[in-house]
Amino acid sequence: MTTSTHTPVLQVIDLSLRYQTRQGEVQAVEGVSFELQQGQSLGLVGESGCGKTSVATSLMRLLPENARLTRGQVRLNGTDLLELDDEEMRSYRWRRIAMVFQAAMNSLDPVHRVGQQIIEAIEAHGMETTVSDARERVARLFRMVGLDPQLMDRYPHEFSGGMRQRAVIAMALSCDPDLIIADEPTTALDVIVQDRILRELKLVQQELRMGMIYISHDIGVVAEVTDRIGVMYAGRLVELGDTADVFRSPMHPYTAALMSSFPSVHGERLPLQGLAGEPPNLIDPPSGCPFHPRCQYADEVCRTEFPERSIHEDHWAACWHPLEVTVTGDGSRDGCG
Amino acid sequence: MTGYLAKRAGQMALTLFLIVTLTFFLVQAQPGDYATFYALNPDLPAEVRAQIKESFGLDKPLWQQYLVHMKNTFTGNFGVSFGHFPRPVLDVLAERLPRTAVLFLTATAVSFYVGFFLGKAIAWRRGGVLEYAATISGATLFTAFTPAFGLMMIWIFAFKLGWLPVGKFLDPLVWRGAEVSANHVFSYMLVTGAAFIAFAFLVLFFFRRSGRIGSAPLVRPVIAVAALAIPVAWAFSDIGYLALDILRHMILPIVTLTLISFAGTMLLTRNSMLETMREDYVMAARAKGLPEKVVRDRHAARNALLPVVTSLVYSLIFAIDGSVIIEGVFSWPGMGMTLLDAVRSEDLPLVMGSMVFIGLFSLLAHVIVDVLYVYLDPRIRYQ
Repeated sequence: MTTSTHTPVLQVIDLSLRYQTRQGEVQAVEGVSFELQQGQSLGLVGESGCGKTSVATSLMRLLPENARLTRGQVRLNGTDLLELDDEEMRSYRWRRIAMVFQAAMNSLDPVHRVGQQIIEAIEAHGMETTVSDARERVARLFRMVGLDPQLMDRYPHEFSGGMRQRAVIAMALSCDPDLIIADEPTTALDVIVQDRILRELKLVQQELRMGMIYISHDIGVVAEVTDRIGVMYAGRLVELGDTADVFRSPMHPYTAALMSSFPSVHGERLPLQGLAGEPPNLIDPPSGCPFHPRCQYADEVCRTEFPERSIHEDHWAACWHPLEVTVTGDGSRDGCG
Repeated sequence: MTGYLAKRAGQMALTLFLIVTLTFFLVQAQPGDYATFYALNPDLPAEVRAQIKESFGLDKPLWQQYLVHMKNTFTGNFGVSFGHFPRPVLDVLAERLPRTAVLFLTATAVSFYVGFFLGKAIAWRRGGVLEYAATISGATLFTAFTPAFGLMMIWIFAFKLGWLPVGKFLDPLVWRGAEVSANHVFSYMLVTGAAFIAFAFLVLFFFRRSGRIGSAPLVRPVIAVAALAIPVAWAFSDIGYLALDILRHMILPIVTLTLISFAGTMLLTRNSMLETMREDYVMAARAKGLPEKVVRDRHAARNALLPVVTSLVYSLIFAIDGSVIIEGVFSWPGMGMTLLDAVRSEDLPLVMGSMVFIGLFSLLAHVIVDVLYVYLDPRIRYQ
């Protein structure tokens, strides 16, 4: 993996987000901290409503009106994005952080030509000065994501789902961002197209040496494309580590449960296990460790106190009783915690 | 496109045929006939009355009359107006139709623009003072009784303040000694207006095709210069003061029509905007770092426009319907007034001719809006 001696592209420090709703205040994100090095990719996984998309939209500062960032910093190459005024933030969007949206199918405007929608971003950030240069850039991007450049003058409804997805990725790459956030970009696609696009996304990301945050509920997909994995539960980051380490030896009981609820093609045949219970209500989250009502190892301390962990360890979990290593390979590792 | 237009033309011909048929039988169903205008004189002996009837072909069976009428209508023979004798009906309509069309198309365009502009502004900034002011005043005016409101406008702006003429198409005092006819000046004005619109479209087209990014801001200045040059050129011509007189007479009816109808477009745009603002592509546009104004206009409002344009057909039809009332209030000598006068004076050829042309006008409005819609929404293609 990349060594952590470089200054990171992205530092998220103690990020906390609340939504005001009629039922009460939702603690959507609570004290999330992580770092991302240049050219590195981080996967954020968790169930629906665990706050992973909220983290992504906080990074872009594209939050709905009822959202409020209560604490934290988002440092992109050292600049805290949460301190910028609207106009400065506007110039950062897409130029520094771009996003491939969850609903990629709908993130193309139906009344404008696909190429034009990319050109308008190129234009807004002054990446090219003439229309022909901008078109040339779009053609390059199209080729990069495996689309015929001639398609740039077509409308979104003339594209198939996979083609739209590729176009949206090309759009995200159009202003050479330092960081790209992919929020469940392939969920709406069939498995074969999904796999191919994932591979290409990973190749492009490595080639351009961008940082990437890949958000998905599917830990298997995340494992394919990312160097590191962060597992989120109830608005908190509960485990973070290198993808291989997390897979080989999940430390948080929730991570282990998440992994056993998805089938694996490789390795031995294990029965799929569901995770009993419901994710907690974030208007009134459980005391202590939010996972304790569903956790088989929970005891008194879990119910009263949240297990804080330093983010400087390579692989950590916010758990009072981290799992012993389940050995699949060398068998030399020990559970930490 | 050609195939689509051909199909639409076929549908129009069929609808027009139905309109002509309906008009014919509606007029037949009324008491009296074509000869009434001439034959009502009680001093006429019965034989003369019969002779008059015969000269109109009224002694023939109804189906024969219908066929003759059909043939005449579709060969462009609308007969001679009784009230404007000996002018042919077509001649009277050719004078009146443009006056109505210009007045009501301008009013519809202005009210559409104002409504769309306000609608997108109040949707974008919800809960502001503008939203309450625009919604309350718009809804009040929308529900106002048109003739009463028209009279109130005349009372304020023409009578009390004296800024604008009370009504009619022109002021005879201004035109005394003028060497050209009002129709002549008016047709020049129409040509100028059409040329300006064509020029504006060409400028838009040219700059969109040009090679440099950021040249779009030139569009507005160029069009603005042209818009300024036109009145200046007219001012130096020797019929400029006559055109100004016609324009002055147009202001009050246009403002009145705009005020009573903009709220429909405004509220529709607002609701449509609130839908599109939630769309993912609007979020994506903002994520791309586009300026807020571009996100609003090029993405949210551009998509919100689609359902609003559909309603434009109804506005146009409403405008023609309303012409009878508005032209009555403002004594504007257009189609509405012509139709009303013709009905009152049993000028049946003019009644039938007016009905057919009003029908034709609304058919054209439909086609224009349909073509516009196809142009605005690429997902719809002419089938």
